[in-house]
Amino acid sequence: MDTKLISDVTNWMKTTDLAEFCYEQNGNCIEIKTEEALPEPAQYTCSLTAVTAPAVGIYHMAEKGKSLTLTEGQTVQEGDPLGWVETVSKKHALTAPVSGKLRKIIVQEGGVVEFGLPLFFIEK
Amino acid sequence: MRSLVNMTPFHKVLIANRGEIALRVIRTLKEMNIKSVAVYSEADRNSLHVRMADEAICIGAAPSSLSYLDIDALVTAAKVTHADAVHPGYGFLSENADFAKAVTQAGMVFIGPSAQAIEMLGVKSTAREIAMKAGVPITPGSNGIVGKNYHAVAKKIGFPIMIKATLGGGGKGMRACFKEEDLDLMMKTAQGEARANFGDDRVYFEKLVLNPRHIEVQVAADNYGNVVAFAERDCSMQRRHQKLVEESPSPFVDTKTRQKLQEAAAKLIKAAKYRGVGTVEFLMAPSKEFYFMEVNTRLQVEHPVTEAVCGQDLVKMQIQIAQGEPLTLTQAEAGKVRCYAIEHRINAEDSAHNFMPCPGTLTEWIPAGGLGVRVDSHMYSGYTIPSYYDSLIAKLIVTAPSREKLLKRSERCLNEFVIGGVKTTIPFHQKILANEDFRRGNTDTGLIERMMKQDEGKK
Repeated sequence: MDTKLISDVTNWMKTTDLAEFCYEQNGNCIEIKTEEALPEPAQYTCSLTAVTAPAVGIYHMAEKGKSLTLTEGQTVQEGDPLGWVETVSKKHALTAPVSGKLRKIIVQEGGVVEFGLPLFFIEK
Repeated sequence: MRSLVNMTPFHKVLIANRGEIALRVIRTLKEMNIKSVAVYSEADRNSLHVRMADEAICIGAAPSSLSYLDIDALVTAAKVTHADAVHPGYGFLSENADFAKAVTQAGMVFIGPSAQAIEMLGVKSTAREIAMKAGVPITPGSNGIVGKNYHAVAKKIGFPIMIKATLGGGGKGMRACFKEEDLDLMMKTAQGEARANFGDDRVYFEKLVLNPRHIEVQVAADNYGNVVAFAERDCSMQRRHQKLVEESPSPFVDTKTRQKLQEAAAKLIKAAKYRGVGTVEFLMAPSKEFYFMEVNTRLQVEHPVTEAVCGQDLVKMQIQIAQGEPLTLTQAEAGKVRCYAIEHRINAEDSAHNFMPCPGTLTEWIPAGGLGVRVDSHMYSGYTIPSYYDSLIAKLIVTAPSREKLLKRSERCLNEFVIGGVKTTIPFHQKILANEDFRRGNTDTGLIERMMKQDEGKK
């Protein structure tokens, strides 16, 4: 292939606002794309924030004698209690990291959880 | 056996460890029809022990302090998975008395010695006192922690001396001192290191045996006072107190000395009322006189060498003892030398650049095989070695009917082992096998350093 042609085309492209340039000789095919026509880079945003288990242990929604009911769909404020994870010698309190709607409750009262397991999803 | 035999068979065992040793334990548990629980950190999600165990549970973040060293997380994991015993493996919490205590207090069995035995033998000065009382030879030393009169103590022992941290291990808080002029400086360095590593700057002195060999004796003891001692392992091939090659029997030890070593080890273990498998380490002088160094109150990395020589599964023995079974093995069977065995520790390290760790992804993994070859490893092609933990990636254990055949077979295995993607210590092991002193069995704990200096000289 003619390397001079390639460098000519590249140099010429620098003077334009073209983003892509395809060229075929005998089939007479030219394909040009401008900067604006390029597809937008995909943006992944998720409105859900996961609350994960801070330790391996047993999940409890409320202390004995006290009540805390959490239901899917309810609103929670940042810092609201979401129960705790009990280990043999510690209690790890869970709080809502953001304010929003409690979209999904995955954990059950008395359930075994491992470190990093998602327990709740809050929608901002 | 006068005592009443009290047995509690295990149904499920949690392995509080990772890597090849977790696999090693899981394999024996499978053969014993005991269910296994693997624990893992976030960095070990794709680790082989997670896949091989019957159950696996994530206990914490990647750094060891937040996972494999977290007593609360490990004991909780064992409780919630309904394990009835915990195997600590080696390293991490295997010699931590608090961990053994926490497991026992939670109503489970710690597969190892009692917390009390770990504590007693873990403090090196106490271990020396026990040895002395049991009539086991020890190196002349300060017989306890040294105080302000340390100059007088050192002079009484006679230089050269070794300064050692009371809670030391792995060569940390340890300094050799050849003459009195250096004593103050060496004392300061050792104490500083001890404080930084163990939070305790107490040290003791020992006479430094020049050109010693590291000879250790594997032992097993049950709950009923039965103790057996196996043929010695020679672990003289060390770099900075880290063992690289271990072999059994030692090319330096004759039958008579072997018997003396086994008797000394058994005496000490009996005196300490030790239960489980363990290792008694000795320093051996060129005169074949030997001195007690320390007891490792756990299964050791190099245990497969002894397994090959005696034909026993030491992990199985360890679990049976923890279940309360009496030892059925006699001393004659245990001490038998059935073959020659050697272990090469293959680390993901660049031996050409001061053994710098080389974590990374394995692009190729073709372990050595064939007659008399065992590879204990948690590697597989495509596995990424995390940078958080030690760099041991495989143990190559070779056996043969004579030492000559053993070295030939080892050489063959190291040549056929293919590990792509990371640098390993295989080239260094090949150098060891080519070393004339090593081939003649003429080793001591300084040989590797001398080999490395020779290499430097050639550059």
